[in-house]
Amino acid sequence: MSDNLAERWAELPDLLAGHMLLSLAAILVGLSISLPLGILAAARPRLAAVVLNLASVIQTIPGLALLALMVPLLGGMIGYAPAFLALMLYSILPILRNTIVGLQGLDPVVREAARGIGMTARERLWQVELPLALPVIVAGLRTAVVWVVGAATLATPVGASSLGNYIFAGLQTRNWLSVLFGCLFAAGLAIALDQIIRLLEVAARDRRRGLAIGVGVALSALIVITIAPSHVPSGVFRRAGADMAQTGDRNDLADETIVVGAKAFTEQYILGAVMQTRLESAGARVERLDNLGSTIAFDALRTGEIDVYVDYSGTIWATVMNRPEPVNRHAMLAEMTGWLYAEHGILALGGLGFENAYGFAMARDRAEALGVSSLADLAAHSDGMTVGGDAEVFSRPEWVKTRDQYGLGAMQTRAMDAAFMYGAVRDGQVDMISAYTTDGRIAAFDLLVLEDPLGVLPPYDAVILLSPDAAANPELVNVLSGLVGTIDSDAMREANRRVDLNRETPAQAAGWLLEHLRTGPGADQ
Amino acid sequence: MSETTPPVLEVCKVSKTYAGHVEAVRGVSLEVETGQLLVLAGASGCGKTSLLKMINRLEEPSGGSIMFGGEDIAGQDAVALRRRIGWVMQGDGLFPHMSVRRNVGLIPAMSGQDAARVELRVREMLDMVRLDPHEFGDRMPGELSGGQRQRVGFARALAGRPELVLMDEPFSALDPITRDGLQQDFRDLQAELGFAAVMVTHDMAEALIMADVVAVMRDGRIIQQGTPHSLMIAPADDYVSDLLETPRRQMRAIAELAQ
Repeated sequence: MSDNLAERWAELPDLLAGHMLLSLAAILVGLSISLPLGILAAARPRLAAVVLNLASVIQTIPGLALLALMVPLLGGMIGYAPAFLALMLYSILPILRNTIVGLQGLDPVVREAARGIGMTARERLWQVELPLALPVIVAGLRTAVVWVVGAATLATPVGASSLGNYIFAGLQTRNWLSVLFGCLFAAGLAIALDQIIRLLEVAARDRRRGLAIGVGVALSALIVITIAPSHVPSGVFRRAGADMAQTGDRNDLADETIVVGAKAFTEQYILGAVMQTRLESAGARVERLDNLGSTIAFDALRTGEIDVYVDYSGTIWATVMNRPEPVNRHAMLAEMTGWLYAEHGILALGGLGFENAYGFAMARDRAEALGVSSLADLAAHSDGMTVGGDAEVFSRPEWVKTRDQYGLGAMQTRAMDAAFMYGAVRDGQVDMISAYTTDGRIAAFDLLVLEDPLGVLPPYDAVILLSPDAAANPELVNVLSGLVGTIDSDAMREANRRVDLNRETPAQAAGWLLEHLRTGPGADQ
Repeated sequence: MSETTPPVLEVCKVSKTYAGHVEAVRGVSLEVETGQLLVLAGASGCGKTSLLKMINRLEEPSGGSIMFGGEDIAGQDAVALRRRIGWVMQGDGLFPHMSVRRNVGLIPAMSGQDAARVELRVREMLDMVRLDPHEFGDRMPGELSGGQRQRVGFARALAGRPELVLMDEPFSALDPITRDGLQQDFRDLQAELGFAAVMVTHDMAEALIMADVVAVMRDGRIIQQGTPHSLMIAPADDYVSDLLETPRRQMRAIAELAQ
């Protein structure tokens, strides 16, 4: 546990800096758009109606969806830009609304007095209207700050690092300390910024220069403390795992920076760490971009935002190539490899040697009690049963076809985070789950993966994919080719189990996996 | 009018029609000379406030002309015009987020005077409206009584040395004793500084007590204009008589009590 704590602390400077840079920029730009727009609209009821409706529509889009939408809107760009844009849009409504409401709600007597004594429009705005509307405007700004700092945790799946990395990674690896870290620091940051703005307002209202200076210093200090360390590499703030980079026996990739992407689950973190280690021992500098959304990872590879990640043949087949029918695994691998290269210049380096398929799993004792060993046996018992699965499986052909071809239409579906479904089926909260076949919890929880006699479920070979630029780098291809065909399902399952059940970090599990590869299968334990 | 100085304010056949065909003011003419207080009296909705707001261009007339200091205001910059005309409102119209000092010093400060001169002017004006600058300068409007607020309102209106002061029901929100003191103080101020003033009121007794000239308005027209004395002895019609009847009856009742 103390290792875990030390690693979380080590990650803090980067994540806090990312979170702060993202939130502050979004709020400042949002403010500089919404405040002038609100002032213009306050005197123009039609404009006010239009912009308020527009901002309200943006607000009704769930934060995660808005962030994810920005990726295709920016042509597949991931990272800071889409996250910034979404959060900036998010900050507009509360400030805009409160500016309009605050200005329109001023006492008409005071407005007329300002005109009557001969103030110009500018003097009225700056000396009378804005100061009197300030409490309402600042309330809007504070709402925006709390929203944006909170929503910035959702920047993680689009590839911008934020305190959300703690939450997403922690949720997937059942590392509750990590989740807690993310929540506490995000909440703390929101509260700190909120209070700073409140005190600035008090200082402005009461014309207390001393307080204004004090709060300004506090804000500057907060910004410097959160942002500066990530740009000043020092022994104190060295990243966890960075020590792995130091000893390179070969230097084929010296001075090159490789960005390794990973989706948001344990196996992906481990494989990311495995590739990182291999690349770093070849002398490359590696940046990691974990927790990418499933299609966002592919888009990011296509546009070269990341250089390499691992995806699964069945996923590419169904969601990228849009093929309705699965074919056998060798045909699928071959056709996918050709298609990716022809369409996008993406190089599928080859299978890692294991398959992480969807498989429908039940608790073994329950399956045996019902006499069920294959999906074909299930139809007779399916009425009143519930199947749990991750957010995407129920809209994918895997479930639709399984349901239709095995006659499971009577089953209820229940979407949940993949981290929770294995426990849910073990404890009988659901009757069956859409398990990932390499998950260590299948064996640990004594689950039975039901047979698929009709061959409905497509193959899911794990494949290393390289971006067009990375594919043109022979040294990179060479280094990563060494991993092709080396990791079998048992090894992957064991590595996953170490994280999900033994609470090892993905980097530790990757270390085990690499050691296992070096000494050969069967040499461990 | 070639030899004598022209009136400070000349309103000539001014009318005002609002969208929706409400004729609020119909061909009104009047003059106000230096040092004079003209009171526009009448029931609410008679057009007296609309007329007042056209004088400092808070509203634009639909017809007729208004001359201020011998010049047509229509061609003048509205902001510059308003700075030369004091403006006092019902319920004071002070800016609640500014201290008494800042409220009173606004117009001198806006006209570009340096801080020391503004401060000097603020003290002078507060002395003039009988508020101790040391005691009241740093207070906020919310910390003052109604009468004190209206005194600050006068000080603010007079700080720019206006030739003309416009007042919309300045005393109507005050209790009778405060009102009486303030009415007298205002006339004293006017005698001392010599500005012309136009005041709107619906209180006929107030009009009679304070005015040099009373203009009684009804349905957008002036139905009688003259000194309080001339109104009392010769009301133009039954409407004016009725308006005068209330103060008369009060006077009689009080006189009977004294006997």
